[in-house]
Amino acid sequence: MEIAKISDTNGRENGTLIKVKDLVKVYPTAANGVEALKGVNLEVHEGEFLAIFGKSGAGKSTLINMITGIDSPDSGEVQIGGVSIHSMGDDELTRWRGRNLGVVYQFFQLLPTLTLAENITLVMDFCDTYPLAKRSDRALQLLDQVGIREHAYKVPSKISGGQQQRVAIARALANDPDVIVADEPIGNLDSQTADDIYDLFSDLVSLGKTLVIVTHDREIAERASRILEISDGRIISGRSNDAPSNERSTGEAAPSPNLVPPRIRAAI
Amino acid sequence: MHIPTRWIKILKDIWSNRSRSLLVIFSIAIGVASVGMITNAGLMVQRDLYGSFAEGNPASLEIYISPFQQDLTSAVEAMREVEDVQARRVERASVLNGEGDWDDLTLIAFPDLTELEVNQLNLVEGRMSLGVREIALEKQSAEGLGLAVGDTFTVKMDDDRTYDLDVVGIVHDLYGMPYALLGEVTGYLNLDSLKWMGKPSYYNKLDVVVAENKFDQEHVLGVGNSIRDRVIEPSGHKVGSMGVPGLGSDPGKHWAEDQIDGFLLILQIMGVMAVLLSGGLVVNTVSATLVQQIKQIGIMRSIGAVRGQLIAMYFFNVLAYSVLGLAVALPLGLLGSWWLAEFAAGFVNFDLTTVNISWQVLTLQITLGLLMPLGVAIYPILSGTRMSVYDAIYQYGIGSEGSGWLDRVLMNVRNLAPPIVLSLRNTFRNKARLVFTLLTLTLAGAMFIAVFSTRASLTVQIENVARYVAFDAALGLPYGSRKQTVEREALRIPEISAAEGWAQSIGVIVREDGSESGELEIVGLPYDAATIDPLMIEGRWLEASDTSKIVVNDDLLDEESGIGIGSEIRLKIGNRERTYQIVGVTSKHLSGSRIYMEYGSFGQLTNRPNQVDTIRVRGNLETFGSNVEQDVIAFQLENRFENANLSKSSSITRHAIFGDFTDVFDLILVVLMVMAGLLALVGGLGLTGTLGINVLERTREIGVLRAVGASNVSVRQVIVIEGVVVGLISWVLGALLSGPSGRALAGAVINAVMQADLSYTYSFTGLLLWLVVVGFIAVFSSLAPARSAVRLTVREVLDYE
Repeated sequence: MEIAKISDTNGRENGTLIKVKDLVKVYPTAANGVEALKGVNLEVHEGEFLAIFGKSGAGKSTLINMITGIDSPDSGEVQIGGVSIHSMGDDELTRWRGRNLGVVYQFFQLLPTLTLAENITLVMDFCDTYPLAKRSDRALQLLDQVGIREHAYKVPSKISGGQQQRVAIARALANDPDVIVADEPIGNLDSQTADDIYDLFSDLVSLGKTLVIVTHDREIAERASRILEISDGRIISGRSNDAPSNERSTGEAAPSPNLVPPRIRAAI
Repeated sequence: MHIPTRWIKILKDIWSNRSRSLLVIFSIAIGVASVGMITNAGLMVQRDLYGSFAEGNPASLEIYISPFQQDLTSAVEAMREVEDVQARRVERASVLNGEGDWDDLTLIAFPDLTELEVNQLNLVEGRMSLGVREIALEKQSAEGLGLAVGDTFTVKMDDDRTYDLDVVGIVHDLYGMPYALLGEVTGYLNLDSLKWMGKPSYYNKLDVVVAENKFDQEHVLGVGNSIRDRVIEPSGHKVGSMGVPGLGSDPGKHWAEDQIDGFLLILQIMGVMAVLLSGGLVVNTVSATLVQQIKQIGIMRSIGAVRGQLIAMYFFNVLAYSVLGLAVALPLGLLGSWWLAEFAAGFVNFDLTTVNISWQVLTLQITLGLLMPLGVAIYPILSGTRMSVYDAIYQYGIGSEGSGWLDRVLMNVRNLAPPIVLSLRNTFRNKARLVFTLLTLTLAGAMFIAVFSTRASLTVQIENVARYVAFDAALGLPYGSRKQTVEREALRIPEISAAEGWAQSIGVIVREDGSESGELEIVGLPYDAATIDPLMIEGRWLEASDTSKIVVNDDLLDEESGIGIGSEIRLKIGNRERTYQIVGVTSKHLSGSRIYMEYGSFGQLTNRPNQVDTIRVRGNLETFGSNVEQDVIAFQLENRFENANLSKSSSITRHAIFGDFTDVFDLILVVLMVMAGLLALVGGLGLTGTLGINVLERTREIGVLRAVGASNVSVRQVIVIEGVVVGLISWVLGALLSGPSGRALAGAVINAVMQADLSYTYSFTGLLLWLVVVGFIAVFSSLAPARSAVRLTVREVLDYE
């Protein structure tokens, strides 16, 4: 079945790309279950950089798993580009996610026996996007974009955590999705590397991607264009940063999105 | 070349898990190669042995007759029931071997070796057109004596004269018992040579091919009776013996066909078991791969892989194992079949023309090698790829708790050391996998013990047979001698403390309807004979007053229905008939149908009072002599009887009879042990695979153990003890299964090679040895998974969220 790209459809309402309605998720336990999400509602606009902030156990990872379709809600709905993703069958959802969402995990989750380039071409292979002969070139372009092309033929265990996260981001971009979702993407990195990765995310937003990240780090969240705070399975506050911060935590000026090299922009 | 990345991933996974991949590749290879080896060897034997056998026009019937001329042959050939007939003279003599000793020799004389009608010989070297003083040797005999064309062959005839013959040809005789089996030399010459050696140019044996129903034993023996009644006896000749050639074979069949087929069938069953066990290992390995890659599966699904793609990937993985396994199995199977066919060729004396692999075997191996792994992998692949993305990514590494009654029992085991308690509980956590591993090891163990039980049963069988050969040495008296004379002569040898003469004859049972049974051996012996210790299975042995009572062996009861203890049977030897009552039945002892009667009664029946045909002696009535002592007694017996002009035959010792016997069985047992060893190997590989999966599945638990202070030794101990517990359980189950499986295997082997019923003996040595072997397998199989567990760092194993 042919899976449409969000950008090719007219599924947005007033620029709203992601719409979460009355989302409830209960994890069964021996004692009646734990309500991880208690009727969450939110909207994410096209090109927005949204940070979902909360403490451990607040329900932020559960929420992001609902948005990516990795887990399913007990009630409520997630619409992305006008598509109610949980109404799709398993394989249809998988194909749709492969084409339209890029997912970045805290622990990178690269396949250990494949080279960095192969980790990226695998995504194109599964979704049959790009011709077979051009996938390698695209993988190299994406690795170039995240700044580690020289390591393209190494396996993940031969590079650092920060570099692995760059590859994970390049992999998330493999099928040129409109939405990137990242679950604690810099929670496992030192501060300097975290800043570099954060810059990469900012660059993606400046290039028109919609970005949703969850984090337990308020300082990180503050650098998004909008912040939602989740606690005990509910969104308890939300605010926009008028001037989305590209400032590093050290206070130094961050490079402007305009400074993204043209060759990188061309690759996206 | 651009290859889709998913296939690259699978190939790289296979490479990165080299030891596990090799494990499953070799496991597939062993199973497939075993089946290929046995089936292909069977086909090669069929082609080269049975094919060549049939080409040489095998006799359906052989008849030993008092000396006769060519005209009798012509008369038999003229019968419409007869298709072909060939006369020959069979003469017993001795040949000087390279060590200066005299070996038994069978000389077979024809008018012309190049024009044989029946049981044709094949020329190997030299020529078959023989002149006077020339001989052709059977190839195994020539090899055994180290003789070649151009050498001189020294023969001693029964009149003690020696003759030098030139070896001019080496021939292959598929129809006689080979030198390797009997240790008797066979040579072929023409009647003129025999005449030159002082023998009249008569024949004494007819080989007959019947015209119709060549494979119908009843018909063939019926034709034999017609030949006897219509041609041989009316012409004034006597039939010495008549029967179908071989060891109880059907007419037209090679003498060892039943044994070879039976043995191949046993091996085939073991080959199928090896395939089943390797199938188990494939399941274990594929499960291990999937368990190890559950998280990767989750990731792949999260980036767009649908389940069908993942299923195809893991089937491709198994297909790669299969193809690599086949690549090893095909040459290995061919080599194995070569070895097995050569083994059979050396054993029963045939030539392996070419070593090839037939397309049937190739198809069988390829089908088995591809379909078996793919078939058994269906379930683990389907269930392994069914997990939700969420569970695959976030729940991996957390072992589940058992909740069955066994788990509850194990929860109450608290007085043991914690690592042991943990090992015990871990063993039973994944019961399906445990059952699978136990099945593999149990089958391997049962088969291992069964092979030992077969050996023990054969030993007991041979010991039972040995009761009928309770002498140190025996000497044949070809023309018969007076009982008192030969016994006195033997007792003059200082080393001999007991000597007894036995008389033998061939007779038949005359049934109530006037028909006659097949030929059977009748033995006359002292009722208190010291050189036989019969195993009575019913009734009693002979007594002094048993003038018209006889003891029969169990073979006779199998042959003649409706007779038993108390039955009266009418025996006929020549023209004399008498009625006897059966008072006892002895066990079978490889003699064929046999009747024992008191020596005096035998003399009355045969009209040969006081005559004996064999002298059997013992050096000590309490124990048998050593091999050397037996050889000394035999040597002295031969010398004394030769000097006294009583016999020029070679004597035979008890150890020589059983030495040849056990050599044959040892060879067969070696083949069975190789198969049992392969099964044990596959079983061990299965346990390694299972423990490997268990370690993978409990990675996080191991991390927790290490985080709370468990030393390397403790972690290793948990894994090794788990392996040993599985090994011990499989040993108990294997022990239980080894009873019936051992009985079946021993029965099949004994029936195949001895054509005898089973006297089953369970091997407790095998049971204990398997305990040691399975202990080693368990510890050895646990070491690699234990090492993997120890190598995991706390950080690595706890990085799951």
